[in-house]
Amino acid sequence: MTTTPHAAHGFVDEPGAGTSDKPATTPAGGRRTRRDKLLVLLATPAVLWYAVFTIGPLGAVFYIALLDWEGLLSPSTFVGLDNFTKILHDPVFWTAAKNSLIQIGVVIPVMIPLAFMLGYYLTLEPRGHHLLRVILFTPALVSLSAKAMVFLAVFAPSGALNGLLDLLHLDSLTRPWLANEATALPSVIAVDLWSGIGFTAILFSARLSSISREVYEAARIDGAGHWRRMWRIAFPMTEDYFGVLAMLQFLWVLFSSAGSVLLLTGGGPGNASTTLSFLIYDKAFTQSEVGYSQATGVLLFFVGVVGMAGIRSLFRQRY
Amino acid sequence: MAKKGIRDRAAPLAHGLAWFYALLLVFPLYFIIVSAFKDNLAIFNSPLSPPSSLSVSHFVDAFQRVELGRALWNSTFITVSAELLTLALAIPASYALARSRGRIAAWCERFFALGFLIPSFAALVPTVLLAIHLQLFQTRAFLIIFLPAGALPLSVILLTQFMRAIPSDLEESAVMDGAGRIRILLRIYLPLTMPGIITIAILNFLSFWNEYLFALILGGPDPAVRTVQVALPNLVSQTNTEYGVLLAGALITMIPVYLVYILLQRRMESALLEGAVKS
Repeated sequence: MTTTPHAAHGFVDEPGAGTSDKPATTPAGGRRTRRDKLLVLLATPAVLWYAVFTIGPLGAVFYIALLDWEGLLSPSTFVGLDNFTKILHDPVFWTAAKNSLIQIGVVIPVMIPLAFMLGYYLTLEPRGHHLLRVILFTPALVSLSAKAMVFLAVFAPSGALNGLLDLLHLDSLTRPWLANEATALPSVIAVDLWSGIGFTAILFSARLSSISREVYEAARIDGAGHWRRMWRIAFPMTEDYFGVLAMLQFLWVLFSSAGSVLLLTGGGPGNASTTLSFLIYDKAFTQSEVGYSQATGVLLFFVGVVGMAGIRSLFRQRY
Repeated sequence: MAKKGIRDRAAPLAHGLAWFYALLLVFPLYFIIVSAFKDNLAIFNSPLSPPSSLSVSHFVDAFQRVELGRALWNSTFITVSAELLTLALAIPASYALARSRGRIAAWCERFFALGFLIPSFAALVPTVLLAIHLQLFQTRAFLIIFLPAGALPLSVILLTQFMRAIPSDLEESAVMDGAGRIRILLRIYLPLTMPGIITIAILNFLSFWNEYLFALILGGPDPAVRTVQVALPNLVSQTNTEYGVLLAGALITMIPVYLVYILLQRRMESALLEGAVKS
């Protein structure tokens, strides 16, 4: 996954810088309005750019979802909610929905707590933690396609994983991991976890390092071990951040699995590893059902909103 | 007493798990490097052992089969151009948001913050339509103007925070001296927020260079346009899955990222330290 290094970084910097430093109001008298006009002018290009290339297309999804549209270059007709009826009667959609649910249901509960614990471990500054940090950061540098090439070679029938199992005399466990109905989706999930835990752990450790040592010290004197300090002290103090990272990860997995599925399994075998995100891609660009694809996008949007609300209520949110 | 015991017993477990995961992360990197010099049989029979020869033939092969040289140039051109465009858009906007006190500015900032929650993939199809409409579909130009849009929310929010940290008396005194807004931005803000600018430049470089799905769809398969990330997976079919060549290709695409990261990380750290010392 490489947790959108982008979004995540922004949140890291927020706690320190975001809240307190509103500019001190120093009225500059009559020149103020003229000066503010120039400021508006300076901000306009960026706002327009963002509106035209991000917000605009996003809004268009909701309209395209109502069209019958066979391929991007052919004409379209307005069909209202027909696409949605079609989707809800399509077994492929339900397979994809089930796969997405499994993917999220495994990735989030495994990744976020493990990353939190690893982040806590890093803040203790154990021996070798500098090296460990560098290693944990590496998956964030590797592109999706390079990562996919590596794992194609790892999971291939005559790849590294089967080779290793062979060496360990566990031949009975070898299989074509990506081409096997039972292991295709788990393999995709494993790649998500492989690349996601480390980076998320670094984000957690940055946040956890803001807890003062005295707090832990007091708990230690009271006889609390690391496990209790971690979950009874560090966790409640950073619960909001826990929620933010869970939410970002949730959105990332829900929407952005298309790329890794496309490169690793192509959604197969059959539809065994087709996720909703991949279905949106596949319908639009290989099956020429643009309306269907975007209607799925709309459904995904609502799933995203509901999921976010769920995560928010699970972890008390302060922002 | 018992609790102390748990703690001591848990310590080796914690070390063990952390380093086991580190090993899992390092293994594929090690595997790429050694396998880039091996053939398929050697990769399967002895995935862990170092290669028996250091022939660069796989690298040459990867370069030729999918025209990696051209792809590297395309990636560089697109990344650098999009990077410059992002900075040209984000720097003035951040300055404006940091220094204006109006309601519009606060609203704009929230508008950008919303971007954190928008996965860019959601708008892929309409973006393709936009590209077709502008007659820029499958051109490098569209990627260059499109990529900054995705990078703006983080760039603007982060840089606005850096700009806010600059005391406004500095600006007031410059205004007294008769300096205009633009000059103030270029002469005072730009040098003082360099750490912030370098930080977002690095983050954007990573995301632009590594972009896959948008580069695949918006750029397309034409070797004259496609980036390294799009060219690389073509090795699977081009070589009939010869993993040594595949991994040599992957290694080539990763080198620029590691180079830039190693070079700039030091600069970023020292720059951030300077910033902290000054304030």
